[in-house]
Amino acid sequence: MVELTLPRNSKITAKGKSYKGEKSPSSDKAPDMRTFKIYRSDPDSGENPRVDSYEIDVSDVSMVLDALIRIKDTLDPTVTFRRSCREGVCGSCAMNINGANTLACTKGMDECGSGDVAIYPLPHQPVVKDLVTDLSKFYEQHAAIEPFLQSRDEPEQEHIQSHEQREKLDGLYECILCACCSTSCPSYWWNGDKDDGNEYLGPAALLQAYRWLQDSRDDEKSRRLDYLDDNFRLYRCHTIFNCTSVCPKGLNPAEAIAGIKRMMVERAK
Amino acid sequence: MSDQSASTPLSPHLQIWRWTVTLFCSITHRVTGMALYAGTILLTIWLASAATGEAAFATVQAIYTSPFGLIVLFGYTWALFFHLLNGIRHFVWDAGYGFSIPASRGSAWGVVGGSLALTIAVWAAVFMTGGN
Repeated sequence: MVELTLPRNSKITAKGKSYKGEKSPSSDKAPDMRTFKIYRSDPDSGENPRVDSYEIDVSDVSMVLDALIRIKDTLDPTVTFRRSCREGVCGSCAMNINGANTLACTKGMDECGSGDVAIYPLPHQPVVKDLVTDLSKFYEQHAAIEPFLQSRDEPEQEHIQSHEQREKLDGLYECILCACCSTSCPSYWWNGDKDDGNEYLGPAALLQAYRWLQDSRDDEKSRRLDYLDDNFRLYRCHTIFNCTSVCPKGLNPAEAIAGIKRMMVERAK
Repeated sequence: MSDQSASTPLSPHLQIWRWTVTLFCSITHRVTGMALYAGTILLTIWLASAATGEAAFATVQAIYTSPFGLIVLFGYTWALFFHLLNGIRHFVWDAGYGFSIPASRGSAWGVVGGSLALTIAVWAAVFMTGGN
């Protein structure tokens, strides 16, 4: 059953705190004070989640991740988030900024409008702490589609691909598994975390499934399609388009999923 | 994961998500699809009353042409046009077209605007031709 509201322990009911920063000493511009409203949750405390406010000078801040680091450095070292590459390659800093999932490191402050910036963890996931969510299920789903080349015969030489065959993988292989798309999908919210076999795999896993279905070197197309031919695993996609709207790499999971559905029809002919 | 789920909070989802027109069209497609069941029942009652006799038909006709009845029928008409146009949108997707972000948003706005325009056109025609 679809649960539209949050469980009792997850409602944002605890009182948030406010922090106020000073003018950035490294900035030679006029101060530009902006407020960040950040979701805070510490399961060890036993308290419900809260939203804290942080006002900082962003006159010399280009990306939201830089702002988060400034908040952690200057106002509150307990703010917890994942980050690594700071250039949109690793996918660690995926989070919900102003109501849509994206990577904090590639989200420019100039894309955040002029009001407060609201930052939440990826939606409908178990929260480890603050902006860090437990993505175990997401990774299991990726593993389930067997994201590796499977050829039946031992090849005597390297697999040869034509330019056309290789081009079919463009727009598919670039996925960094940041989970922005899957956790943006209402269908994934309601059906992505089921353990009873009625589980929707989500846009990220399905995009990768399509990537291997499109690979001319792979011999297990039929078995891959057999696995996906399921009311829940594949057909919970209703083309809502949240996945494609939020993908920070500009990929199109909605189109890939439609491609799998068409492959199902074509092989049934 | 399951043993800690009692204390591990679930992150907010619908509560924080910024709505888009494509998201609106998806949920509205489902809602209008359900509304069409109710509308079909209204249509069946209308036909059944016509088959029953003049008095029964007059009663149903009086209810349907009351202000409340007209509002319901207007809503039914819109639900029909919305579901029809968005159904065409799904049909085009099934054929493999219209997956770019501009195409998906443009077609979504087209469905919203088109369904309203067609509904208003139908009812304008009804009132202009003196239908009751």
